[in-house]
Order: sequence, then structure tokens, then C-alpha cells
Amino acid sequence: MDGQFLLDGMRYVGAGLAMIGAAGAGVGIGLSVQGALTGMARNPDTYGNLLTNMILGIAFSEAIAIYCLVIAFLMLFKVV
Amino acid sequence: MAALGISPGFLIVQIIAFIIVLLTLNAWVYKPMLDMMETRKNKIAQGLEDARVASEARANAEKEAAKIITAAQAEAGKVVRQATERAASAGKDVKAAAEAEAAKAREVAMGEAELERNRILGDLRGQVAALAIAAANKLVGETLDEKKQRALIDEFFSGVKGGKVVVAEGFTGDSAIVTSALPLTSDEQQSVKKNVSAKEVSFKVDPSILGGLVIKIGDKVLDGSVAGKLEGLRQTLK
Amino acid sequence: METQKRTPWRRWIVLVLMIAGFILGGIYIPVQPEIAVAAEKLIEEPIAENFLGLGPLYLVNTMPTLAVTLVLLVVIAFFTNRSLKKSQNTDLVPRGIGNVMEGILEVLYNLTEGSAGTKWARAIFPWFATIMIYVLFANLLKLIPGFESIGILHPAHGEGHAIAPLFGNWSSLLPAKVEEGGYILAPFFRGISVDLNFTASLAIIAVVAIQYIGFRAQGLGYLSKFFNTRRMFQVPFFGAMDFLVGLLELISELSKILSFAFRLFGNMFAGVVLVAIVAGLLGRISILPAMIMMFELFVGIIQAFVFGMLTMVFMAQATQGHGGEEHAEH
Repeated sequence: MDGQFLLDGMRYVGAGLAMIGAAGAGVGIGLSVQGALTGMARNPDTYGNLLTNMILGIAFSEAIAIYCLVIAFLMLFKVV
Repeated sequence: MAALGISPGFLIVQIIAFIIVLLTLNAWVYKPMLDMMETRKNKIAQGLEDARVASEARANAEKEAAKIITAAQAEAGKVVRQATERAASAGKDVKAAAEAEAAKAREVAMGEAELERNRILGDLRGQVAALAIAAANKLVGETLDEKKQRALIDEFFSGVKGGKVVVAEGFTGDSAIVTSALPLTSDEQQSVKKNVSAKEVSFKVDPSILGGLVIKIGDKVLDGSVAGKLEGLRQTLK
Repeated sequence: METQKRTPWRRWIVLVLMIAGFILGGIYIPVQPEIAVAAEKLIEEPIAENFLGLGPLYLVNTMPTLAVTLVLLVVIAFFTNRSLKKSQNTDLVPRGIGNVMEGILEVLYNLTEGSAGTKWARAIFPWFATIMIYVLFANLLKLIPGFESIGILHPAHGEGHAIAPLFGNWSSLLPAKVEEGGYILAPFFRGISVDLNFTASLAIIAVVAIQYIGFRAQGLGYLSKFFNTRRMFQVPFFGAMDFLVGLLELISELSKILSFAFRLFGNMFAGVVLVAIVAGLLGRISILPAMIMMFELFVGIIQAFVFGMLTMVFMAQATQGHGGEEHAEH
């Protein structure tokens, strides 16, 4: 059990832990889609407008998950 | 960065590739397509505008046509009314003419019929006289003077006694109507005209008075008829 | 309009393909491929020693795919152009491929017009549509069989797979792993969207184009979005806050590159990994990876739409000024 092996292992563990952050993004996306769909169901005329804003909101939520992914990649592939 | 596979050279290759795609699509697809969409939109708008103008023109034409039709109908109505009026007046004229014609014809016919009747009655007069004489002969049993008898009968029928007609005083007027049972001879008429002091004397024949004369001048009537005498007799006997 | 009774020969083909998949999956057991974030080199030596002074350029396996995609897009553009030209000269009614492209692009154009307004739709639309079409082709091309599975066998440096000769010069990998003398597959074709170079280049282009549209729409006033000194001297405290917010906008603009690049890459890479791991784990049962491939189709279309849509929305936002009255909403 040398230090290098432990370091490799901890890298994987760290990457996995970093991806926990994606859970929040998932909840956020779900909430924004829920809100948009409710709005569309109540008022179908606003479909186009809501769709655009929904995708924008999803993108912002997803950006959080993407930061997690980036951090995971950074750990996994020893970029830094 | 190398571990993630990002290499600046390949990044530039990718950027160049994207620019190629962008320029190609822009020049070959987007521009002609957007131009076509624009042209088509304009064409459709043009078509709609044309249709609108055409429909407006048609509405105007319809209004014009309606006006023309109304004017024509009014004109036609006037013409028809005039024609009807003219026809009505013409019809009235024709009817009046026809009625006048008919009245004239009837008058003529009546006159002819009167003349005919008078002629027939005149013819009858001789026979009646002969019959009366024959009857009197049988009744009386003696032969009367033929000439005297005839004069008597003539007198009976004509009411003209010895060329004279007894007329009351003041019995004058403009026109007189003399009614006899049988047509008077022209001699008798002359004597009646002489005795009746009237400017015009017209003669009528009415067998119902039986004999004698009824002379009507103005609103006065001198009843010298046998029927009148019989009626007077009946009143007296009652 | 008589409806012909169609013989359902298509479903028989599908059944035959499924049976063939089972049999082939039984004979040639799926091997879990080497999952690499970076594109694999087809040739060890670089094709250009010092490409534009930026270091060596290797022939990686996304390059053939890039070439195929480019050729395909150019050919489609050419035929679309011909079709459109023909219909433009006749009756303005597109037929064939021109009709298909017009049907898709008209929807996109109306979307652009709805978000950005008529004035800027014409300027934004080419970026939006190009990114969308390009990413769509990149995402869907990688689903073609043969991608990521046919390639060159490199001798492994560490652990590798044993090989079995197939015919001629061709061999197939065996699932068994060997410590020494094994081989690693470097596929000829790797989907270009499973390459950070592609997604990062698109992200950089998109963000640069957003700034370009912003400057075109507002001139130098666009800079006040990032260096907001408008209220600095009137209300010092909130003015300073605005300035800091403007700096944050700058950072968020840079992070757009990151999020654009990693969103597409993450989704596509996750798809590849998912298919590879499921196929490797299930071995002979090849029906589930097929289902995942169908899901990949869906994800590919959605991601292409999202990438284009976000670019378009950001561009539309850039055309509208971030004046003081809009700040009150925040």
C-alpha cells in the first residue's frame, strides 16, 4: 500500500463525490420543467415563450451539474 | 488539458470546419431560402392585396349595377304606368265609342222595329175594321152603312172626330206626345197637329189604350182613351 | 385517397435483425471498449510537427468523422441549393430536399423571430440554424454502426485485450484481458461530439458570436454591460455594486464557454459510456444496449436543440440593452 495507490483511489472517490452536486441540478431541472408544464397546461398560448424560458432555466441549472462534471474530470485526469 | 484531449491545433481545425459549414449553409441554404420565403410572403401579400382591390371593385360594380337596376326599374314602372293609363283611356274611348255605336244601332233597330210594328198595326187596322163591321152586322142584324161604319171605327181608333180633336183650353205647350191605339194615318196626324196647339207633335202607338187618344203636353195629360173612359165608368159603377 | 393495405415486411426485417443481433452477440461477445475522454490517435506520429506554432497535430479518430460530416453537410447544402434555385425560378414551391430543409428551417426561423424580433432574426438565424444542424449531424452520425467499434489495434502499454484472427488482416477483440501483449482498439470513427475539441470550439464560436451580435446591436454601449459605471457617481454604494455585477457578467460570459462545451460533451460522452458499459456487462444480451441507443437518439436531438436554442436566446438578449430600468427588475 504505497501512497501513489492511495492517491489514485482517492481521486476516484473525489470524482464520485463531486458528481453528488448533480443531484441539486436534477432537482432544479425537474422543478423548472414542472413549473413550465403547469404554466403550459393552464395557458397553452404561452407555449413558445415558456419553452424558451424553460430551456434557458434548465441550462442555468444544468450549468451547476456541468461544473461538478468539470471538477470530476479535473480530479480523474489529473489536469491540475 | 491534454488529458481531456483538448489540443489547440485541433481546436483551430474544428473552428475552421465550423466556419466552412456556416459559410456554406449561409450561402447555399439560408440566403436563397430566406429570399424565397420573403418573395413568397410578398407574393402572398400582393395576392391578398389584389384580391382585396378586386373585391372592392366588385362591390363598387355591384353598387353601380344595383343603382342602374333601380333606375331602370323606376323607368320601366313609369313607362308601364303611362302605357296603362293610355291603354285605359284608349279603352274608355273605345268603350264609349262602342257604347255610342251600340246605342245608335239599338236606336236604329228600335226605330225600325217601331216602324215595322206600326206598319203591321196599320195593315191590321183595315182587317180589324172589317172584323168589327162583320161582328156588328151579326150583332145588330142589319146592315149599316158601310162608309159610315168605317168612319165610326176610324173615329173610335183614332179619336179624331170629323177631322177635329177636342182639346181643352189652355192646353198648350212646346211639345206634345200623342198616343193612339193604332197608328194614325197621315191625314189624321195632320188634323191632330192642327188641333193640338204645340210646336212639335210626336206620335206613339200603344194598343193597351184600346182606342181614342192620349195627349200629353208638358206635364199635363188629356186622357181621351177608351181605356181611360172604361176606367172612369168602372169607378162610377163601384 | 385509398389506403393501401401494406404488407408488414418492415417488422419482419426488424425481427430478423434482432435475431441476427442475438446470434452475433453470442458469437462475438461485446467487449467493453477503452473509455477515453480524449480522442484516440490513429497514428502515433503527428501529421504536422508544429501546426501553426501550436505544437504537434495528431491524426485522431475524430478527424475522419469531421471530414465525413463536413462532406455530408456540404453535399446536402449543394442539393438543397439546387432544389431551392429550381423552385425559385418556377413557382416558389420547394420540392424534395429543398422542401424538407425549408420545413425545418422555417420552424427555426419562426422561433428566432419569436425570441429576437423581426429586426435581428435575419442576423441571428444563420448562427442558430448552423449550430443546430451541425450539432445534430454530429450527434446522430455517431449512432451509425461501425462508429467506435471498427478501428486499428494498437499494442497496449499496460493491460490489454487478447485478439482472435477474423479474416485477412482483420482480427476481433476477445473479452478476456491479458496483462502483457494485449491490444487496444483505436476506432476509425469517433463521434465528433464526443470530443472536447469540437464542443469547446463550438462554445467559443457561440460566445464570440454572441458578443459580435451584441456589439452590432448596441455599438460600444454593449461594453457597459460588463463595465457598468453608469450610476457610479450618483449613488456610490449601489453604483459600486452595479460595477461588481458587471464584472460578474464578464465571468458568467466566460463560464458560458465552459457550460456550452461540457454540456454537450457530458451528455454525449455519458451516452457512449453508458452503451459501452451496459454492452460490456450484459455480454450476450444485446437488446438493452439497443434501447440505450434509442435513448441516445433522443438525447442527441435534444442537445442539438438546446445548444442552438441557448445560443439564439443569448444572442437575442445581447441585442437588447441592459439599461437602468431593467436593473430594477433584478
